[in-house]
Amino acid sequence: MKKSIFFVTAILIAVTSCTLDKTDYESEISTIVTEHFEYSEVVSFNKNDYQISIEALNGTFYKGFNDFRLKIINTQTNESLNTSEVTFLPVITNYNGNNSSCPHRYNLDYNSTEEYYSGYAVFTSYSTDSENWKLHLSFTDNDQIYTIAEEIIVEEQINMNLNMTTFTGSDGEQYFIALIAPQKPRIAENELVAGIYRYDQPSDEAGTFPDPSQFSYSEVSDYTLLLDPRMPEPSMGNHSSPNNEDLLQDDDGLYHGIVNYTMTGNWTLNFRMQNQYGEILKGTEVSTEFTPGIEGTRSDLHIDILF
Amino acid sequence: MMRLLAFILLLFVGLFTNAQNTEREKEKDSVIALSEVKLISVVKKKIETEMKMAVSVDEFLASSENISFIKRGAYAWEPLLNNMSSERSTITIDGMHVFGACTDKMDPITSYVESNNLSAIDIKSGQEGNMHGATVAGSIDLKRKSTPFGLSKKWNGAYQTGYEFNNKHFFNLANASYSSDKFVADGSLAYRNAENYSDGNNDEVNHSQFTKFNASLGLAYKTSALSSVKLEAIYDEAKDVGYPALPMDLWLSRALITSATYKQVFENGLFKALDTKIYFNAIEHYMDDTTRPENLVHMDMPGWSTTYGLLSKANIKKNRFSSEIQLNAYNNLSTAEMRMYPQDRSERTMFAYSWPGVTTTFAGLSINNAWEISDKSQLNFGGSLGINYNHSKYVEFNWIFHPGTPQEKTRILPSLHAGYQLDINNFNFSVGGGYGHRAPSVSEGYGYYIYNSFDRYDYIGNPDLDNEISYEGNASAGYKDDKFTIQANVNYFYIENYIIGRILSLGSPMNYQSIGVKGYTSLDYSTLFNFSLNGSYSILDNLHWNGTLTYARGKDENENNLPFIRPLSYQTSLHYQYHKLSFQTSINGDLEQIHYSPEYGEDQTPSYTIWNLSADYTFRLKNHKTVVQVGAENVLNEYYSTYADWGNIPRMGRNIFTSLKFNF
Ligand SMILES: [Cu+2]
Repeated sequence: MKKSIFFVTAILIAVTSCTLDKTDYESEISTIVTEHFEYSEVVSFNKNDYQISIEALNGTFYKGFNDFRLKIINTQTNESLNTSEVTFLPVITNYNGNNSSCPHRYNLDYNSTEEYYSGYAVFTSYSTDSENWKLHLSFTDNDQIYTIAEEIIVEEQINMNLNMTTFTGSDGEQYFIALIAPQKPRIAENELVAGIYRYDQPSDEAGTFPDPSQFSYSEVSDYTLLLDPRMPEPSMGNHSSPNNEDLLQDDDGLYHGIVNYTMTGNWTLNFRMQNQYGEILKGTEVSTEFTPGIEGTRSDLHIDILF
Repeated sequence: MMRLLAFILLLFVGLFTNAQNTEREKEKDSVIALSEVKLISVVKKKIETEMKMAVSVDEFLASSENISFIKRGAYAWEPLLNNMSSERSTITIDGMHVFGACTDKMDPITSYVESNNLSAIDIKSGQEGNMHGATVAGSIDLKRKSTPFGLSKKWNGAYQTGYEFNNKHFFNLANASYSSDKFVADGSLAYRNAENYSDGNNDEVNHSQFTKFNASLGLAYKTSALSSVKLEAIYDEAKDVGYPALPMDLWLSRALITSATYKQVFENGLFKALDTKIYFNAIEHYMDDTTRPENLVHMDMPGWSTTYGLLSKANIKKNRFSSEIQLNAYNNLSTAEMRMYPQDRSERTMFAYSWPGVTTTFAGLSINNAWEISDKSQLNFGGSLGINYNHSKYVEFNWIFHPGTPQEKTRILPSLHAGYQLDINNFNFSVGGGYGHRAPSVSEGYGYYIYNSFDRYDYIGNPDLDNEISYEGNASAGYKDDKFTIQANVNYFYIENYIIGRILSLGSPMNYQSIGVKGYTSLDYSTLFNFSLNGSYSILDNLHWNGTLTYARGKDENENNLPFIRPLSYQTSLHYQYHKLSFQTSINGDLEQIHYSPEYGEDQTPSYTIWNLSADYTFRLKNHKTVVQVGAENVLNEYYSTYADWGNIPRMGRNIFTSLKFNF
């Protein structure tokens, strides 16, 4: 009797422990994607009696969209400035000495509750030995203007969900689309957030370097980013998902839409960018055919993601 | 065609038959249930068919006229009760709910038991089957062997072995029991191994092999003169099982089914018996497509199902009134995953849940009453009320197709039924009706891109489906005397919110074989009609005839045919006994499937007729009863597939079988 009970218990333990483990869904997505929540210091510089520090997610500037927080502290009084005019201009110099910039906020906003200056930059490339980013900052205190030019490091963005793309629209303008959210998608409805920027062609001759009028970008308004997400893997046969919503501009200036990912893996966000008059400036409509074994053709405006 | 029909009908009416009074049998059953709890030995119908003494559980079930099967291979057939798919019936083992862990229905509950650990299978049609939970089609309860206390012969057992030539199916089944005044032990072991079978053209049907091991143990201890406790366990393991009709096979499936029961019998008073059981079962199921190199995509599809439950039953009897009250409660967690491998294996695999961690909790109370109005008539009536709660752990999967659908859903599932039966001399009649709700199954509610290789669609569940509501009527009439019996049964179901897959204009397939996406939706209603006629005749003392005719018709709201409805089918058999030798022969078949459903992936199935033969010899081997049997199924090696063979896979051709049973 006791032996039998022991036997039953033994089987019970043996069977209730599975032969193969279940997938841990949370860590499944984390194997590819790391989500960053914490802002920490990327760089800090000293200028006279001031210390300037910039914080961004994970303490790093990445290629693509970067939201950052800038603080200026008077080291004499240990007080932080809050009435200053702060300007921010990133400039990259390539191997033959040409300068260019990237979409950014030039005049930083002051966030009085959190007490920092907020801005963003959409770095179009990461730092290499031959190409370096330099920040040109200026701020005012006691009617005096201070300027700083410091080199920064921009790292490669490993998280493909924060990818970006640059292209020329059919209107001849240069555009930038950068993914902002979700950082870490789920097999679910995801709110898809992207920034759309345009390079403002300078109307005047360049002044003294760095002349901000030569490096001006604006947030594009009232466009629509038509979305068709698909899986590029050939065996998935151009698989797509239902209930996606095109991206429309919200009060924050960014474009918000819905993307549904039906499974993990590689996805292509096929876009068509439409201006306020309904004209498609870039992007081709993709086939909706289910073609097992054949990779679907991508739109000529697309961003690949992976999670 | 009509002529043939008329001829068969005539044959039945003409030959009269053994009116096997099913209603009457039910009556007997409840008596048996009572005596069982009084711990008295009851001899039950053996798990064997007329043709074959060593049968699988599926083959045994198939001998019941209101069961048909969807077959995806040689193993684990999905039982259809009253021509309705398995989510519409409650299938239990001694009242315990067990839920399969396969999204492709490779593992109906009947695949987790063996014929040598069962004593009987209790099939109830429609709402009469509400004792173990909400149902539409009825209930199938697999009754486990249970040896009584204090048998004069302490040790009992049987050993069965056999070989079936068509698919080299070799099996060994052994069971033994020990019975003393205080203690009873039951145990069984079974092992089956079969290779691919061959069809009627002698072509091998690839991926139709199976291996199954099953063991069970039951220990009962008498705690007092009128009470006992019992611990039971079944362990089942199926390995390397092929499903020729599916794009995948099974690598491993394991089930552990355990329970502890306390029984108390009362000598005086209203309550006669109280029977309480707690149970736990766990199933793991791992599919395998590495056997199918032709598949474009390699994928892993594991599934798990864990159930805890309680059931408590009280029997009440007062004069001519008896009543059975049962409390059922269970909690099940079903999880199934899919992981697709890209062609370039260095790329990221693609993962999703096909069952996103779905919990089903049910609690219900059922009451069934029998009132013997007179010696000739009886009224049966009852009802149940259940609460069904679902929770989807990763509801975000469900939001993809059903944005904003709640994570939890609670449903109230009522059921009512009543039936009146009357015996006048040799005649018997019955009439009854029922009303009941059922909740959608895990796949119907929460399934996610479950590929159905029958109609080649990916199926998406809908958590917001309404309860399926069934209104049913049934009637029977029969005649019985010493020589012949005839019995006709008919039932009709009107099912509101009938759940079925409909093409979605949303999304695109995920499985490469698929041609589109279907979502489970509710039809306004559909109707189902079932008819069966049974007859038997004792031509001579040692020569008996038996016959069955069944017909069914199922239509949706637009008068279109429902899928998997059995065409007119017949079975007729003769049994001849000569001393210790007995011979059986039978013919069975379906007529052409006229009412097929192209909409749900069906094509027309032609008619077929199968002829079977067997002979057995009973003798004593050192005072132990021994039976040997030799026979052949599909003697004429007909090439056929039935209306319910998934993907029209051909059935087995000629199969010569032998078996030996030895009792001690
Ligand atoms: Cu399976």
